Amino acid sequence: MLRAAHLVKTFRGPDATPVPVIQGVSLQVEAGECVVVAGASGSGKSTLLNLIGLLEDPDEGEIWLAGRRLTPASRREKSRARGRAIGYVFQSFLLLSSLTAIENVMLSARYIGSERAGARRKALALLEQFGVAHRKDHYPPQLSGGEQQRVAYCRAVLNDPPLILADEPTGNLDDEHARVILEGLRDRARAGAAIVVVSHRPEPTRHADRVVHLTGGMLT
Amino acid sequence: MARLLRSYAFTIVGIAIGVAGLVALGAMAERIVRFIDGGDRFVLGQISVAGKGLGMGTGFTAGGLLSAAQLGEIAAVPGVAGVQAQVMLPIDTSRSQFLTLTQELVLGLDLTVPMPNKHYRELPVRTGRFLRAGERHRTVLGADFAAARALAVGQTLVLEGTDYTVVGVLERTLTAPDRFAIVSIDDARELFLAKEPLLGRLPIPRGDLNTGAAVGWQEGNDPDGVARHIAAQVTSVNVTIPSEISEVLRSSTAFFSALLFGIGALGLVIGGLTLSNTVAAAVFERIRDFGIKRALGATDLALGGEILREALVVSFAGSLLGVVLAAAIGLGVNLHVGARGQHLFLFSTRLVLGALGFSVILGGLAAAYATGRVIRLSPAEAIRRGA
Repeated sequence: MLRAAHLVKTFRGPDATPVPVIQGVSLQVEAGECVVVAGASGSGKSTLLNLIGLLEDPDEGEIWLAGRRLTPASRREKSRARGRAIGYVFQSFLLLSSLTAIENVMLSARYIGSERAGARRKALALLEQFGVAHRKDHYPPQLSGGEQQRVAYCRAVLNDPPLILADEPTGNLDDEHARVILEGLRDRARAGAAIVVVSHRPEPTRHADRVVHLTGGMLT
Repeated sequence: MARLLRSYAFTIVGIAIGVAGLVALGAMAERIVRFIDGGDRFVLGQISVAGKGLGMGTGFTAGGLLSAAQLGEIAAVPGVAGVQAQVMLPIDTSRSQFLTLTQELVLGLDLTVPMPNKHYRELPVRTGRFLRAGERHRTVLGADFAAARALAVGQTLVLEGTDYTVVGVLERTLTAPDRFAIVSIDDARELFLAKEPLLGRLPIPRGDLNTGAAVGWQEGNDPDGVARHIAAQVTSVNVTIPSEISEVLRSSTAFFSALLFGIGALGLVIGGLTLSNTVAAAVFERIRDFGIKRALGATDLALGGEILREALVVSFAGSLLGVVLAAAIGLGVNLHVGARGQHLFLFSTRLVLGALGFSVILGGLAAAYATGRVIRLSPAEAIRRGA
């Protein structure tokens, strides 16, 4: 499903000195597989997730999604791939504060041209499934951290993407809420999605098919 | 839409303040433009003739008295279409006309002759009616003249100890007629004698008591040419050449033209900078949201269109609020100073539409610039910068 080969990413430091963050990482994740990328803070996990999620361009390397090479690809192609094929769960939720919970979930459908009524029905069903339907008309600042993460998860899976990327999805949650999100991801893998979770905490590894470790920008 | 406006409330208020400044300065400039243009239209619409002499203190027409015989001679000049005798007097003779650009005047008109001025065939009446030929001790007042004295139709104006019934009040023209008290020429001649007692002791027939005449020309004739013919064929007259007097008027108001150009330029710079800065800042402020939307699949086109649409709505709403704000302040000030016969702000249609169009276009350009900067960023970079 996902194949990343020889990815390299270097940022510039304050005095323009190069800071290598990802150094030749290759990773393959099959459909239905849940892979956890473990590593300490600053090891490059989030950058790796950004690269394979097409949120950032690698300096070197290739990314293939469902047999299609997306490096290089036009900005439009990458946008379409992000909208249709990839779902993101961010550590800090990244909900739009000007939209209600259900509008945040439905935002995923807007840019792929989904029919609005159908997207709303599906969004409601997901919110129901994750126990936040009663908060559908609330704005993010009116929701708890656990509720926001569940809404963000619903947004990530609304389009049934074949690849779901989760960046520290349990980082800001208590055990019970973390379990709900991780089980949700596990269910998606069972349904055939490829899942990549990056985390420095131990809980996600218990739900993984495979755990890889990232140290100093290299997989070990 | 309501939520969009709510979420951009501060931006809208920021734009409104900038646009209000622009519109208020523009309204002051419009007021001056109208005044200058009105004078220009007036002098280009007729040939003004006075008798030879200084004639200080008798209003617009420089020169001495113009006799009935001279009026007849002018009417006989080829190309002349009509001659209307006039008497123009300052209301307050204790002040030199040099000290005031907008002095209050009594204008006596020979109403048996149609108004010869091609641009002012009749003066627009707001309430009541205009004077009729043969009427005595009746007056029609200019808007500022009436406002300064709180006079309305049916009330009485006292001129040199004589009561004049107000039969009409003119529409505000924002030019000289706003400060006129128009009476019949016979009444004006009486007032002239009252104001200038020496004249009463001289053996001058009433019909010769004219401070000037407005002269019209026949269609197809060059007004400057007709004016030169009058000067050549009628003895002892001062004749204004329309294009020359227009030029003189323009050069004498050059200071005001420069001033209003400066006011307009200042308004555009202040209002424009405020607006474009506010719109661009509003776009940059939401950089994280745009990063999230890009992560969810928004293409450059979709996101750019979305930002531009929002910016146009916000710019328009802010501009509209700015116009309303400026109008409220301007009309309030006009109301306050109107009691003293002044009028400072003119909110013309072209000013309001121009300000709205300018604001929306500038808002759109500022948003397009900011959008161009935002969509060049990768989604991850946009989210990082907005965090």
